[in-house]
Amino acid sequence: MPEKDQVYVDPANLVFAKAMEVVTYIGIAVMIIFGLLYLVGISSFVDIKAAIAHWHLPVKEFWEEVAGIHIQGYSWFLKNLSKMDCLSMLGICILSLAPLASLVAAWPKAGAQHKIMYLLFLILILEFVFAILKPIILPGVGGH
Amino acid sequence: MRGSRWWFWLLFFCLVSLFLSAAYLWAAEPSLAEAGKEAMKAAGAKGSSIPWWLWPVILFGFTFIIGVIAPLSGVGGGVLFVPLSTAFFPFSVDFIRGAGLIMALTSALSSTPQFIRKGLANIRIMAPLVCVSMITSVIGGIVGLWITNAYPSGKYYITIALGLVLLVIFIVMLTSKRVEFPEVKEQDGFSKALGLSGSWYEPTLGKVIEYKITRLPIGMFFFALVGFIAGMFGLGAGWANVPVLNLIMGAPIKVAVATSMTIITINDAAAAWIYLSKGAVLPLIVVPSVLGISIGARLGAKLAVKAKPAFVKILVMGIMLLAAALNIVKGLKGLHVI
Repeated sequence: MPEKDQVYVDPANLVFAKAMEVVTYIGIAVMIIFGLLYLVGISSFVDIKAAIAHWHLPVKEFWEEVAGIHIQGYSWFLKNLSKMDCLSMLGICILSLAPLASLVAAWPKAGAQHKIMYLLFLILILEFVFAILKPIILPGVGGH
Repeated sequence: MRGSRWWFWLLFFCLVSLFLSAAYLWAAEPSLAEAGKEAMKAAGAKGSSIPWWLWPVILFGFTFIIGVIAPLSGVGGGVLFVPLSTAFFPFSVDFIRGAGLIMALTSALSSTPQFIRKGLANIRIMAPLVCVSMITSVIGGIVGLWITNAYPSGKYYITIALGLVLLVIFIVMLTSKRVEFPEVKEQDGFSKALGLSGSWYEPTLGKVIEYKITRLPIGMFFFALVGFIAGMFGLGAGWANVPVLNLIMGAPIKVAVATSMTIITINDAAAAWIYLSKGAVLPLIVVPSVLGISIGARLGAKLAVKAKPAFVKILVMGIMLLAAALNIVKGLKGLHVI
């Protein structure tokens, strides 16, 4: 079918797609491998049985009951990376970074045809970095 | 061959309808939902005949089905996962929302690269829209805090209004004749300056379809509004992307669905950090869910490329109707009207 070859996808889109695919694969692999190791009972931060016994509680009460801690920010899992469930959380962080990595990778090619795209991509990258920092600098503010 | 394909789509559509109807019934009927939840909680309780490992297996199967549906309709999956899981599973709604968000993110991340390579999704369309919606989402979050304190029942009125807006969009899509391939005679200056056009090979027609985007400033205004409301109430707003892209900006339905998935990757990834920082993401719930949705979304993205635009339109409208009903019921329940 020669018509399929007539579809032109610009390099910025292709780089964005490639970067997203690679980082997503890495994130899913890290999350699932360590998540499965956690499920089979290897070194955990939250005991599986305790989690099941309390997973009906609101998040604040859950953490007070299972770990006796109040959670705010990212240090609770970043400081416990020897535990399988925290390593699985690291996989989720990598997944959440995939769009940022894709934007950064596509940025040099984004403005090749239309220069204003450089500016739009820069704004998006800065907004994304702000979204990562927001729970630390504006802890009470929601947003989706 | 043609006959067997026809039966496949009919069967698939029946399954989707069944799934959506069940979602509506469980969310709309509180007593039924409560009874189901109690039964599931009892089953999950200590000493029950259901072993703990069965929960991840059930989650896997459940999210696999959502994964197939999501890329076909341009929603992240949260609109299906959150109400159904709240009714069926014994987890706190905080963990359900956290898992729903990570699932929606994974489904969007898994399908977007395929859509981009086929020419269906375009980051040049996504960039200006997400730029404004991310800013208004933060402003909405700040205003939302103030409104919740000053006027607690205000959010229920807005939820009902959102449901009514969705119903209107549903009727517009139902009566509109060119939803699959909208006719854009002339682009606005801004869309032209950014080169917002593209093409994809449409297998159901056996030819390359070219498209152009228009009314970008109006589209940006609506995305700003959606971002503001989403931020204000912590809602996922994937369902709002498709009608704005399709009905206002003239994107063909399949381009609108695919570009909506690209927008969801950015919005959901940005929102995920809030849930991570609050500890609302439990690997015990998230890992089987993500595994299910990633496999389902790959299948869903392949089906979306091959699916007839008319079928995609019906599926989008089904999700729209479900989201409208859920919002209205949620608002009325909050005001104790039902």
